[in-house]
Amino acid sequence: MSSTSTTPAVAIEATGLDKRYGRHGQAALDQCSFRLPAGRISALVGPNGAGKSTLLAIAAGLLRPTSGHLTVLGAAPGAHRDRVAYLSQDKPLYPQLSIADTLRMGAELNPGHWDAAYADRIVEQGDLDPRARVRSLSGGQRTRVALALALGKRPQLMLLDEPMADLDPLARHELMGTLMADAAEHGTTVLMSSHIVAELADACDHLLLLGAGRIRLGGGIDDLTAAHSLVTGRGTAADLAPHTVVESRPAGRGLTALIRRDGPLDSAWEAQEPSMEELILAHLRNPGAPALITPGTTASAVAVTA
Amino acid sequence: MTSTTPTLERPAQSPARRSLPGPDGLVRTVLRLHRTALWVWTAYVALTVGLLLWLWGPGANAAQKAFDTFGYAGAQDNAFQGRAPIVLVGGSFDSLFYEPSTLIGIASCAIAVFAAGPLTARELELGTAQLAWTQSVSPARWLAAKLAVPAVLVTVGTGLIVVLYRLVWNAHNHLLVAGIGPRSFSFSIGPATVATALFGLAVGVLAALVLRRTLPALVAAGLVQFLASAMRGNNWPFQHSPFSRLQPELPVYSKAITSSGAKVPDPGCYLSQKCLDRHDITGFTRTYLHSPDYWPRQLTETGILLALTALAVVGAFLVLRRYQPRTRRPKNTPEPKKETAA
Repeated sequence: MSSTSTTPAVAIEATGLDKRYGRHGQAALDQCSFRLPAGRISALVGPNGAGKSTLLAIAAGLLRPTSGHLTVLGAAPGAHRDRVAYLSQDKPLYPQLSIADTLRMGAELNPGHWDAAYADRIVEQGDLDPRARVRSLSGGQRTRVALALALGKRPQLMLLDEPMADLDPLARHELMGTLMADAAEHGTTVLMSSHIVAELADACDHLLLLGAGRIRLGGGIDDLTAAHSLVTGRGTAADLAPHTVVESRPAGRGLTALIRRDGPLDSAWEAQEPSMEELILAHLRNPGAPALITPGTTASAVAVTA
Repeated sequence: MTSTTPTLERPAQSPARRSLPGPDGLVRTVLRLHRTALWVWTAYVALTVGLLLWLWGPGANAAQKAFDTFGYAGAQDNAFQGRAPIVLVGGSFDSLFYEPSTLIGIASCAIAVFAAGPLTARELELGTAQLAWTQSVSPARWLAAKLAVPAVLVTVGTGLIVVLYRLVWNAHNHLLVAGIGPRSFSFSIGPATVATALFGLAVGVLAALVLRRTLPALVAAGLVQFLASAMRGNNWPFQHSPFSRLQPELPVYSKAITSSGAKVPDPGCYLSQKCLDRHDITGFTRTYLHSPDYWPRQLTETGILLALTALAVVGAFLVLRRYQPRTRRPKNTPEPKKETAA
């Protein structure tokens, strides 16, 4: 029946997820498997076309995977619509409604758990006139309204696809702050795709790096950075033998490399812990690097052992 | 992290128009989203009802006067002279009488086009349908509201018009020029008119869900509805006998009344007062009798259209399932975990 609850509650778990668009289309997701523990704020990064939006839409219950399996909050995607918020990349809103009407719609479509004051506050922070029509708003202003709609329902899981892309730096900073403070306060799980890596580093404690439709790197950011070293020294990439070289480039007489350690490091190399940005960039530049998924983020193969 | 529900800070003074929980929230949302369409529909119903009331009352005066004087010949003359006492669209009672029927035909196509475009396909294309589905509303409930709210409005509006139209017909059918006009009118207006409008709604929504894009959906729905309306003009296979494609005859009761009150056959005086005086005719009575073919034909047609509507609705819900992930859980998956403290 139910698994022992020594393992932390799982927000999202994907097993062998495949998604193809069209009959002969290229796979947007290709045997994608991972597990996102509840309560994490996870960054979903990857190059364009890596399948980020597809994964988020499947988790939101809007797309049907071609094969494979995904659970969201322990059930099929779409089973807990009241507890999951989703913000799509293009932030669709009804152009003919005013902001006030849009929020009223949020209240009507989320009966019983709509936090009107919170949603209003997000809109007010942007100096938006509630009577303004959505049609007349700029991209960034629309993003703010869309975020208010997503956050006002007080979800347990937020799926945000490029949430901050249209916002000016100030608004981005401030909204990200609101979002993170709220997530921390209520223990909300967040899975957020973005290209702005530096910003994610501040906000997120978990990382999922998608490449070619599957997870290349997944786990707590601290665990991932701790598993890697940025080494400098004389020698060639081959000298780093037991370790996995993710990326190396010549530096002076020797080379600088980002490695995934396997055992203790030779003291001839000068090592430091990479930043999250360095880690992500190295993996993005070298899609051939083997995948690393920490145990907490690995999907259980078949079933959780009872 | 505990999964207790977050304590929501209630606003000090809650906004005045907070919606009530329950299914009516979705209904209100649908009404608000399609406010313009709601106004257009209301205007159409008001205009048509107004025209019918006018035809029932003052609009028939001139034709009635001509009829009282010269009988059917007078009504015919009034129709052919083509002058109406008030210039609305310009025309006699006989031509204005059929205008609401034209409006009903246009409206039924407009319903199909609206259901395909603004109601459904545009939402799918803009992503706003997906926005609704990621609130606490399942796609099936969303579609149910999208179908039910317009269906109620369409049924009420069209039903009102049809009832009123039959009343006008019953009151004034003696003023119409005999022929295919009254015959085809009499057999077409009835419950099947309402069913046609509902069919348009269902076909529009189905076309939108299948085709997913606004313009193709709109064209397809309009076309199907146009064809369905064309079938209604006595073209359903069940409607013609093997011998004739004509609608059944409408029996008419037509008599002239003498000064003693006796009902005699119309002497055929046309517009000659002298002739009428000679025959001592002081009035006329004329009415189309109820055809025994009316109800069987109407009810069969209504039944067929409602069955097609139901098929389209079921089809729409089935197609909608393609948009969503499968809900059945595969084997070897643990039961959904109860929310446990992490």
